[in-house]
Amino acid sequence: MKKQHRRSLLKGLGGALTLPLLESAANSTADSAVAESAPSRAPLRFLVVGNPFGMHPDNFFPEQFGKKYRSPKTLQSLDWLRDRLTILSHTDHGMKSGHGREVAFLSGVLPETSAAFPEKNMSIDQLIARRTGGDVRFPSIHTTLQRGIRMSWNANGVDIKPFTDPQRLFDHLFLNLTEQERQVRRQLLKRNGSVLDTVGEQFAIIRRNASPTDQQRLDQFATSLRELERNFSDRTVWVDRDKPRFDISEHFDDSEVTIANRYNAIFDMIGYAFQTDLTRVATVGFSPDLSYTDVDGVTRGYHACTHNGKKEDIVNELVSIESFQISQLSRCLKKLDEIPEPDGDGSMLDHTVVLFGSGMGYGGTHSNRDLPILVAGGGFRHLGHVDTRNASGSNMPLCNLYVTLLQRFGIERDQFNTSTGRFELNFESEHSNPTAQPS
Amino acid sequence: MKILLGLLALCVLVQQDVSADIALMKTHCSKCHSGADPEGDFNLVELKQTPDEDNLEDWIQSLEKVKSGDMPPADENRMSTAERQQLIQFLRHRVLLHEERVRRPLRIPPRRMNNRELANSLRDVLMIEDVGTQQPLAMLLGDNLYKGFDTHGETLGFSEYHLDQYVTAIRNVLDATILVGDRPATRFYDVPTAKLAIADTSNRARSEQANRTATSIELLDLKKFAYFTNFKTVPTSGRYRIKIRAVAVDRHVYDSEETGIYDGDPLQLRVHLGDRVRDFDLVEGEPQELVLDEWLAAGTDLRLTYPTDGLRLRGNGNFKFQYRIAHDYIKANDPELYRRVVTEEVPRSKTRRDNPEHWVHWTGYWQGPRPRLFSATVEGPFYAAWPPQRQTALLGIAPDAANAAEILKPIARRAWRHDQVDEQLAPIVKLVQTQAETLGDVESLKEGILAILVSPSFLLINPDEGTPEDRFATKLSYFLSSTVPNQRLRAASNAGKLDSFDEVRGELQRQIADGGADELLREFPRAWLQLDRINFMAPDPERYPLYEKKSINEDMVNEVLHFFRHAVRENRPVPEMLAGDDSFVNADLAKIYELDGVANDSIFRQHTFTDGRRGGFLGMGAFLTLTADSLGTSPIHRAVYVMENFMGIEPSPPPADVKIEEPDVRSATTIREVLQAHQSDRSCAACHQAIDPFGYAFENFDPAGAWRDHYQPVSTGSNDNTMRKSNAVVIPIDASASFMSGAEYSDIVGFRKMMKTRTNQERFVRCFVSKLLLYANGIEAEDYSAVDAIVKESSRHEYRIIETIAAVIDSPLFREARPAVARSE
Repeated sequence: MKKQHRRSLLKGLGGALTLPLLESAANSTADSAVAESAPSRAPLRFLVVGNPFGMHPDNFFPEQFGKKYRSPKTLQSLDWLRDRLTILSHTDHGMKSGHGREVAFLSGVLPETSAAFPEKNMSIDQLIARRTGGDVRFPSIHTTLQRGIRMSWNANGVDIKPFTDPQRLFDHLFLNLTEQERQVRRQLLKRNGSVLDTVGEQFAIIRRNASPTDQQRLDQFATSLRELERNFSDRTVWVDRDKPRFDISEHFDDSEVTIANRYNAIFDMIGYAFQTDLTRVATVGFSPDLSYTDVDGVTRGYHACTHNGKKEDIVNELVSIESFQISQLSRCLKKLDEIPEPDGDGSMLDHTVVLFGSGMGYGGTHSNRDLPILVAGGGFRHLGHVDTRNASGSNMPLCNLYVTLLQRFGIERDQFNTSTGRFELNFESEHSNPTAQPS
Repeated sequence: MKILLGLLALCVLVQQDVSADIALMKTHCSKCHSGADPEGDFNLVELKQTPDEDNLEDWIQSLEKVKSGDMPPADENRMSTAERQQLIQFLRHRVLLHEERVRRPLRIPPRRMNNRELANSLRDVLMIEDVGTQQPLAMLLGDNLYKGFDTHGETLGFSEYHLDQYVTAIRNVLDATILVGDRPATRFYDVPTAKLAIADTSNRARSEQANRTATSIELLDLKKFAYFTNFKTVPTSGRYRIKIRAVAVDRHVYDSEETGIYDGDPLQLRVHLGDRVRDFDLVEGEPQELVLDEWLAAGTDLRLTYPTDGLRLRGNGNFKFQYRIAHDYIKANDPELYRRVVTEEVPRSKTRRDNPEHWVHWTGYWQGPRPRLFSATVEGPFYAAWPPQRQTALLGIAPDAANAAEILKPIARRAWRHDQVDEQLAPIVKLVQTQAETLGDVESLKEGILAILVSPSFLLINPDEGTPEDRFATKLSYFLSSTVPNQRLRAASNAGKLDSFDEVRGELQRQIADGGADELLREFPRAWLQLDRINFMAPDPERYPLYEKKSINEDMVNEVLHFFRHAVRENRPVPEMLAGDDSFVNADLAKIYELDGVANDSIFRQHTFTDGRRGGFLGMGAFLTLTADSLGTSPIHRAVYVMENFMGIEPSPPPADVKIEEPDVRSATTIREVLQAHQSDRSCAACHQAIDPFGYAFENFDPAGAWRDHYQPVSTGSNDNTMRKSNAVVIPIDASASFMSGAEYSDIVGFRKMMKTRTNQERFVRCFVSKLLLYANGIEAEDYSAVDAIVKESSRHEYRIIETIAAVIDSPLFREARPAVARSE
């Protein structure tokens, strides 16, 4: 791979200092003339951080609207970013109350009703990854600890299993194979490719004989087969290229492995994967089953804390858990903000659209209205705390925000699932075409 | 013919009565169910004259509500019994006629097999004991559940991710089954005490805690595991002989009330071979030699543990607090030793010198029950033949890619569950023969088997292949055993020996007797009662410590499984499962249920309840706990659960714009007072009048499933402990309610009696049948009349379980074909 001329020594993300080599296929093949045409060369990224139980509303939504709000308890760690974020009050997906509907967070569509939508309940991160994924090693990266919260759904309406172990995530993102291992890997890819080809031929015979009732499920298989074949050929290309080097050992130096340093490790790996253009879409989920007892003042289970019966000490535990989640996010954003965009103006945060939220409003009431939603970075002209209700006092469909986000990525749409319009959040015009394909 | 005549008679009847019965409805229903804002959001005009696809659900709902007596509601009812019967007949016949006319397609779309079925199917296609101790399937995407069921086609889905992982996982299984190269040499590993090591599964221990001596080590608690430092992981796939010398120590020194380990339970040593587990009972006295002879795959971890749910009763459940038992015991039984420790050792200690009771001083005096390990040996890999028998069983002695078609055919027949495989096998044979040049015969045949196993013909259950008889055998096999059908079952089906109700019943009885239906007996109740949810909201560990410390959730799940298995094997009437007077309990559950005379061990035994409060599903901790919050109980959650899982009623969820009041445990209001809104607010009441009475009956059961007469005293301040003593308020429980039909109960005893009326028994049977169909078909059964016919058949056999299941299997909904007219003669 040809060395990038804009490489510079960066200290932003803790860990071993390495020279970040941009990973993207576009960069590796682009000639210098194209590279000169920055800033439109800088990629735009998407980071989603979500939780399963929403947020204790009094401690999440500020009392005041506009930019001069006072940060409530849960959001205090984000105070440094207050001018560059937007908190959306009164959005929802029009869902009934209860658990299980938070899986619609990123699409507004439940799996059981997804048949009515052309892209089923495909989540917005996947829609964006489809646009940005062709040029990078990993179209998207999904992470959590212990158990995922089913945020990301592919076009077949199947949820994507996140990495639950930071070590395995590390291996996936950064571990390079030895020459011999690459040889084995190449051979295996070839063998698996031949097996898939053969299954394709056998499948054609079944399909010819199949009855109409079977066709839909067989279509699912056909799509899977086609996508996997394409995926294999992509992997064959990537197998020969080195991944960027990265060191997360600092998070595991202490014998004690806490939730905090495991999430730190995850966020740092994602930050570095963004920086080196390994991927442009990432999600982080805060698990429902995780024991947050490492966090100061927390003794109970997360879910139990949401059903606190308004008991003060348990509410405090819940707010501690939620503040912890926001402070993890804040730490990551700070790091992204300290790194100048490798191939563009401003910081990496300015080129990263950040969405925090949940598909559940507040677990204590099982309400799926008034979702806690926050947008940061991404070069938007941020608005502070916004009441999204319309003149008649109705909540705004969260999908309206998603229309705006899709447009930010250059996906020209004015409609996404249950949207009724777009959320007015504008961005600097110079970034208006960030995903332009290099010619 | 009978059916046809019946239908004719029915038509005549309906013809006569149409106008009369519509008039009947107008008279008795239209007062509330008419106009722009009808009760329950249901207007009579929606029924029109006859059912159509849009209003069929309303017809069925109307029928169910009139049948149950909920409609017309008692306080408005002026309908005579005869009129009610007439109306039921009318509604029912209309629904049946409609479905007869519409004739929905019976064919069920194919679905992906779930991970459980995949593991079993691979095992049986490849004829091995399990998919392998290297846990090749552990990396698969977990299956999502639909109402607790892992067989729901739409929910299972199929994606590139699945296929990608199948290729890797199945290749892994094959690599450990079909071995290439030279026969590996057998080695002998001596594991003396010095090579036995102990580690902590939670990785928290700073140093080894193993009571190590020159000749032995001990497993002190359930968080520890032992391993062999010179044989941590199996190096080569093959058969291994493992011998372990061990003994039980101090089995009965401490009182079982202190340790939480029952005197009647054996002390065990558990050997983990990957995820394969072997338990050995240990006795005190002379060391015993435990011998294992197992096929192990390369990469398998070997570990030894002490399986117990005890030793967690003190402190926060961490094992160290148990050492205080040693303090208490010595203080009471050995004053001389006690004096010496307190006067000589405690003052010299580095910590807690001021507190002789602290556990830290007594770790060296622990006499709790524990396994002691002396040494071990491992020998292997052995092969009775080379290549190993499991390989030659698949490929033959000297496999040649030129014979790929013959070699692969029997494998494809097992995997694809039918015989006409030649055409489909052709591309796979071609693959093998192309690859043979570079990979050699064995490896290329392996590629062929992989192709057979990642083909949709294997991975999808019920694709349109083979004869209808093959498909029926496949479906029956996955229903009973969650695996591919064996040769006997396929032959029986193809010979027409599974065509009648009696033949199906015979097959079912045989499989239940010989273990073939074990998978159904275990997985169906787990799914039906949604037991996966039991700890979604576990009882608060501070208020209900026993539940957490003794893992009572596992006992509760096992109660359900033992009970269900027993009920099926005894072929009891289905309704007895709901509210019969017995269940299965062990010593842990006896504590929760406050039972006397239960043996002091963990074995589940049948128990008959005499107080009318428990017995059957309605009295089980599993149901009572999984429907409760961690600190409180919700009659609504329990009601919805009872309706959905036992009564077969789907209450509609609250509308999206309803503002739900958050429970406030600080106030002295009862849940009943909080829920008053359901009665006073008209929009809530319409549904909740029908829902709530199914839940109030259980208010006497707390979140951990124990009986209570009062709510836990509540305090109005934030500090529980101080308030509890002073001005705590004690609120007695009111578990009474009345249904819209006017039927009333004053407590759980009355409610349970009510569940035994004919209407409710029939509802429960119908619900059981629907759940069986959901498990079998992976799709909700929507055909009212076909389900009705199964319930009728069941009633002809006193609703006995086996006959009911047989009626499900024999139904067109399971067979996916309507019976030939000749068969109804």
